Amino acid sequence: MKKVVARQLKVKESEIKNELDFVKNLGADSFASIELVAAFEEEFDIEMDEGAALQVKTVGKAIEFITKTVEQKK
Amino acid sequence: MRLCIFEDEGFELLYPLTYLRPVFNLKCGQTTLAEKILRNFGSVKTAYFVRDYLEPLMKEKLSPAKVNDMNVLKDDVLLANGRWLFIDVKLTLDGPEEVATCKNSIVFARLKKKTVDSISAATFREFLDEVKKKVKTREISVDLISYPWDLVHHNPAAIENDFKHTAKPGAIEGEFSEQSVIYGDKHKVFIAKNAEVQPFVTLDPREGSIFIDEGAVVFPYSRIQGPCCIGKNSEIHGAKVRFGMSIGPVCRVGGEVEESIIHGYSNKYHDGFLGHSYVCEWVNLGALTTNSDLKNDYSNVEVCMKGEMTDTGLTKVGSFIGDHTKTSIGTFLNTGTVAGIMCNLVTSSGVMPKFIPSFTWFLHNRFFKGYGLEYMVQTAKKAMSRRKVEMSAEEEKLMAVLYKLTKEERTYWIKKSAEQ
Repeated sequence: MKKVVARQLKVKESEIKNELDFVKNLGADSFASIELVAAFEEEFDIEMDEGAALQVKTVGKAIEFITKTVEQKK
Repeated sequence: MRLCIFEDEGFELLYPLTYLRPVFNLKCGQTTLAEKILRNFGSVKTAYFVRDYLEPLMKEKLSPAKVNDMNVLKDDVLLANGRWLFIDVKLTLDGPEEVATCKNSIVFARLKKKTVDSISAATFREFLDEVKKKVKTREISVDLISYPWDLVHHNPAAIENDFKHTAKPGAIEGEFSEQSVIYGDKHKVFIAKNAEVQPFVTLDPREGSIFIDEGAVVFPYSRIQGPCCIGKNSEIHGAKVRFGMSIGPVCRVGGEVEESIIHGYSNKYHDGFLGHSYVCEWVNLGALTTNSDLKNDYSNVEVCMKGEMTDTGLTKVGSFIGDHTKTSIGTFLNTGTVAGIMCNLVTSSGVMPKFIPSFTWFLHNRFFKGYGLEYMVQTAKKAMSRRKVEMSAEEEKLMAVLYKLTKEERTYWIKKSAEQ
């Protein structure tokens, strides 16, 4: 997941920590956030509720959210 | 005798303009298609038939008129197709029983109680089918609005016709600056009360009438060419308003506009060109948004309707933009573009795709789901509150219905654009 974040937000993977906020720390503006959600969906072959997904603020919470969505799909 | 204005199956070919309104509430000229029919008959009990998902909202909007109430079909009735462009038509409520069709669609049906009572139908659609079987039909040639570009094509003539019914020719009831000029016959201009034409404005009615409605303000350096109608409380900001423009109420228009319909409550405030287009309500066209309405090889424009490219038979066709859609600064819309409702179009480079599904964001040459329905509705409510309009509960419910209705199409285009 961090690879996707690194690719989309153009930051080094090693710099991505769970506690980092997508907007405040990683510079994800509204456009980048939408592209990030789409990139997660494509990477993990899932469909996320966009409203709920965009409420997720930090990398750690995103990992939890995506893990839960992937498990629900199984 | 009761007049019933109905939607037939033709509403689908008028998407995205008809997602949030019945066909008869589309505008052509200054007024809607329904208003043109109604003014022919004066005071008459009227009922409406619309597709199922519009029923709750239309009951709210058209009250106290009956909507989708089969009980109104118990008496003599005149059924009128809501797609009928009712200009210079002579039709009376009373007369012999008859059914007139145009290219297989019922245009009108005047039916006696005896016939109405003999028809057993659960839905209005079934009722129409039975009418065709029971009463001999005759084919007539009329203007039935079939596609969005039909409205634009007929708009200049419709403005002229509406002017005859709605204007006081030559009257200037509002303010008209001494530094402005009517360059042509003053009797082809009407400026309603509380409207204001500020200095250095040219009204040019040489090719058609100009109607400036109550509370509208035309700011300096605007040039308005007729036929044109400017709706209540709209503002024209130094614009070149060229031949054949209908601007509804509470719009803000700048730049260059030509032969288009801006339904109402929409903004094209800044520079940029809009031509041969229909813009629905609550649309915002960002600065320098420009649409093409003519191909460089002068060939007919094709438009994507129901997933297929359709030859319009016309060389000048602009864009059809659904309600609540917004464009970013510098957006270029291709010739014959269809943009659905609630879209957010962000320029990257080049022109937008010719079809943009409803409830999507277009960004970096791809479609995205955006922030989802809830966020889009919240944004729409904010936009409406800026004009002191509240989204009703039924409108909000309709958004959810349309979000589901358009999901398959949206998913297809999002996936397709991701693969490219």
